[in-house]
Order: sequence, then C-alpha cells, then structure tokens
Amino acid sequence: MRLLTRRPGESLVSDRRVQGASALVVLWLVTVPFTTTDSLTGLILTGLVYVMLGVSWNLLAGYAGQISLGHAAFFGMGAFVSAWLTTPSGAGLPESIQLPILVAIVVGGLASALISLVIGPVIFRLRGHYFAIGTLALAAVIELVMLDRRDLTGGATGYYVQGDLSFGEAVSHGDVMFFLTLLATIITVAVTYAIVRGPAGLGMKAIHDDEEAASSLGVNPLKYKMYAFVVSSFFAGLAGALYGHYTLYIAPESTLAVTWTIDSLVVVILGGMGTFSGPIFGSVLFLLLDNGLSAIVGGFSEAVEGILIIAFIIFLPTGLYGLIKEYLVEEVTETETGSDADVAHE
Amino acid sequence: MVASDLVSQAVVNGLLLGGIYALAALGLSLVFGIMDIVNLAHGHMLMVGAYIAILVFTATGITPLVGMLLAMVLMFGLGAVLQKVLLRHVVDEGIEQPIIVLFGLALILQNLGRVLLGGDARTAELGLPGSGMDIGIAYLSFPRTVTAIVAVVLIGATWAFLQYTKTGQAIRATAQNRTAAKYMGIDTDQIYVITLGIGTALAGAAGALLSMLFPIDPYVGWSYLLKAFAVVVLGGVGSVLGTLVGGLVLGVSENLGALYLGGGYRNVVSLLIFLLVLLVKPEGLFGSGGES
Repeated sequence: MRLLTRRPGESLVSDRRVQGASALVVLWLVTVPFTTTDSLTGLILTGLVYVMLGVSWNLLAGYAGQISLGHAAFFGMGAFVSAWLTTPSGAGLPESIQLPILVAIVVGGLASALISLVIGPVIFRLRGHYFAIGTLALAAVIELVMLDRRDLTGGATGYYVQGDLSFGEAVSHGDVMFFLTLLATIITVAVTYAIVRGPAGLGMKAIHDDEEAASSLGVNPLKYKMYAFVVSSFFAGLAGALYGHYTLYIAPESTLAVTWTIDSLVVVILGGMGTFSGPIFGSVLFLLLDNGLSAIVGGFSEAVEGILIIAFIIFLPTGLYGLIKEYLVEEVTETETGSDADVAHE
Repeated sequence: MVASDLVSQAVVNGLLLGGIYALAALGLSLVFGIMDIVNLAHGHMLMVGAYIAILVFTATGITPLVGMLLAMVLMFGLGAVLQKVLLRHVVDEGIEQPIIVLFGLALILQNLGRVLLGGDARTAELGLPGSGMDIGIAYLSFPRTVTAIVAVVLIGATWAFLQYTKTGQAIRATAQNRTAAKYMGIDTDQIYVITLGIGTALAGAAGALLSMLFPIDPYVGWSYLLKAFAVVVLGGVGSVLGTLVGGLVLGVSENLGALYLGGGYRNVVSLLIFLLVLLVKPEGLFGSGGES
C-alpha cells in the first residue's frame, strides 16, 4: 500500500508558515475578481471547482481506499437538482418549488449526498475492482437516463439556468459566483481536514490499509465507507451546483460526463493521493497544465494528461505533494515509503 | 404487445451480437483472471482494433476480415509492449495503481483516436458476396451471421489454445498459483506479457468485427468496456464457456430491452443487468469466478 503512507507530522497546515501562506493565498483569491479579467476569474473559479472535486474524491479514494469512477454523477446531479430549483420552468416543474440560488445550491449538494446515502449500502457490497467498475456503470446509467429524460434535462440541447446575483455594474454575476465558490472551497477543505484528522479519518485509513484487519479490530468498514462516500458526494454535488450556476448552462452529455471523474482523478494523482494538501497542489498544476498544454500540444492535451497520471503513479506516487515535502518543507522521515518508490518497484 | 416475429428477430439478432460481445469480454476475462487487473483500457483497445480494420478497408477495399487479422497481430504487439514497459511496474501492487495506469492509457487511446482519425463515426463494410437468409422465425442478416461465426471460432481457438498447448497450460498454471508456477520453472513474467498480448488481440478482433456492424467513433471505448465487463460478471471470471453464455445473454437482453423500452434504453438495460448480477451474485452466474 504505497499510495497511502501516513508519516509523522504529515500535515502542512499545522506548520505556522504554511498557515500564513494559506491566508495569503486566500487573500489574493479574494482580490481576483477585481484585479483580473472576467475570463481569468472564470479560469480560477474552475480551479476552485477542481479543488472541491479533488479533495472530495481523495477523501473517498485516497483515505477510505474506495476507487470510485462515478464522481461525475454526483457533480452532475448536484448541478441538475439545483438548476431545477432555481429554474423550475425549464423542466416543466411548478414555479412554487423555486428557491433562491444560494439555497438551491446547498440543496443540490444535499441531493447528491442523499443519492449516495441510498445507493451506498448497495454499491459497497462491491469491493476493489468491482466497486470501481460498478461506480463507472452507475454513472453511465445516470447519464443515459438523464439524457433520455429530455423533459427534465433538455436532453442533448441542454438546460439553461436562470440566475443573476450581480450588484450593479461593479460586481458581476460571475464575480459573486466566484466568491461563493471560494467560500465553498474553503469549507470543503476545512471540513475534510477535520474529518481526516479526527477519529473518522483514522477509521477510513484503517479500512484502506487492511479491511479485514480493521474489521476484526472493531472498525465497521461500511460505516466509514458511507461516511466518506456521503461527504464526498455532498461536496461534489455542491461543486456541480456552483459550476452550473456560474456557466448558467448544463447538459447531460457535458455536466454528467466521465470527464469530471477524470479531472478529479488527475488532480489527485498529480498532487498526491491520500495526502491532505495533494489535491490542492494538483489543482494548481492541472489548471496550469490544462491551459498551457492546450496552447502547446493542441488537441493532444488529454493524451498528455494520461501520460502524466501514468508517470506519476509509477514513478512519483506521492505526487507533487511528496516532491514539495521532500525538497522544500522537511525531510521525509520514513525513507522506505514514497520517495524511493521507483527503487522498490524493481 | 409487440408482434412475436419482432421478438424472435430480436432474440436471433441478440444471439448473433452476443457472440461478438463474448469475444470482446474474453480478453478482459483472461487478463482479469490471470493477472488480477481490470483492464480499464479494454474498450479503447477494441476501438483501436476497429479503426485498424476500418483503415485497411477504406485504404485498400480489402475485406475487413483481413483487417481483423492485422488488427490482432498489431494489438498483440501493443499489449505485450504495454506489459513489458508499463504494467510490470504495477501488476501485483494492489488495485489502485493498475486501475489508474490503465485509466490513463484509455485517455491516451481515446485522444489519439480523436486527433488522428477525427471525431466522426466510421464503419467498415463486409465486402463479401451473399445476402441474408430467412430461417422462418427470423431473418439472418449476412454481416451479422458471418461476424458471429468468426467470433465463436476465435473463442473456440482461444479455448483450445489454453487447453491443449504448453503455453496455454502455463497460463492456466500461473492463474491458479503464480508462486507455485514460478517454482515449476514457468517464466511468469513472460506469461503476463503473453496474456496481455492475447487479451489485447482479442479486444482488437472484437472491435474489427463490430466495425462491420456498427459505426465506430473514438468515444465508444467506455461503453464497450462496460458491456464486456457485464459479460465477464455474467459468465464468471476466467471461464471461457461462461463468457460465451454471458455474451449471448447480454446480446439478447439488450435487443429485447431496445424492442420494449425504446432504442435509447439499449445500454441502460445492459448496465442494469450488470449491476444487478454484480450485486446479487458477484461470482457470476456460471463458473467458479474470482472473489469479489
């Protein structure tokens, strides 16, 4: 189990300097809508969505060890449920269920959490490979059904979402959505941090390392898998709801597409799976790569992403986080894990 | 109520298609059973095989059955190289690393397919003379029948190879117990190379056959991966006969689902069957199967 190695003092956040740096980054992010162009603001908002997706997927896959390939379904369902609530007329629903955007976005996240709560006990009967493929199939079913329900989702033409949160000329709708997404990202990171540091995080790591052993020591695997799944799905749904109300247009073929699962996975692998700050670094790198790559390699950016995750998982399984920790923050104390992974493969 | 001749036609077409589904699943089942990895790129390998047949057909006009043989040779090479260069690092390292490496490979193949060949769907035509045949309860379309026969022949050949050749025996021994096989002097690393080669070649063959019936685009990989895995689950991991039966069951139920619920639900039906079997009987309907 080289992917998840818990080392003493693993947390970067516990370091005072890192706390200061995080505060500076957040402060800088707050100024983004006022100091940059709309398109750059949108780009950084997308980066925040990646952080939410990555952190939430990492909780389920990196910590609890459940490789879900259906994250996109929760992202997409969050987007659709919140869109139905702010724009019920588009789906032929009664106007009376209309909710303010803010409430609708939270309900979108709750809806995803509810879906995971219902299917969790069933899908967690599957383990390992079967769980991965099962979640992939589940997401495919949801996408196909939603695509077929043209009345509810607009089908292939998509669904236009209504929403205007602008304050006069100075603060556009996109700017407000940026602040909301920033706030949601901070909450996602903080809540996940609390879980991972707490007893539940310990339980998740235990079933990740050895489910049988953990079970025999009184750790209920299903309980911690469900915990990770529901929280993970909530934040994925929240991310989808926010993104849908930023773009104001969603469609089953893009909002529920496997692309969002791929992005979550790439972000986590690049940053370092099962490490807390990994997905955050991964999102930054992915955002730079995604935009830099499409300028350099044109249509091949997806292939380069594929090559990157393969190279990272084989040669640098601790990801960017491992690299940073090794060279910038402090020595990795347990040398038999992570840093010499490529030697150990031989 | 749907007319009975429509039902029998759907069943017959489903059986014919099911043969190809079984072939598509056989490679996945072999690799899963022997190397204990789920080849997430299997559907994309199938897509590459389909494109090889399509390209040979459009460039030369030669029947895609020849293209299929070429696809099998090339795909065997791809699979073998893949194992030698990449997967040997991650096989037997738990499930996370192989899944992610193969996921990455799927992305690469899909992207290359899109950039090099364009996003449009293409198809190859089985340019052999002959028309269909009416067998009373249904009409046997010529391309469907030929592809189904070829698929079943290839499945039989694979079974015979595993059963009667020395390499086949070595592969089965490795599947049973890798360490013991090693002590018996079997080069298990080499067996893995051959296994992934065969698995990839079978994916390529299935893709080539499918290209003679349905349009292929660079995005078909995921959908065929799930279909193939559904067959593996239905038939039980590592069972050749189970895979054949699983393929037929999937083909028939898909066609019946499309008939009764509408074409849009063709894939939904197969996925639901798959999830249902996975949940109720994860060891498969037939065969001893792998552990869940």
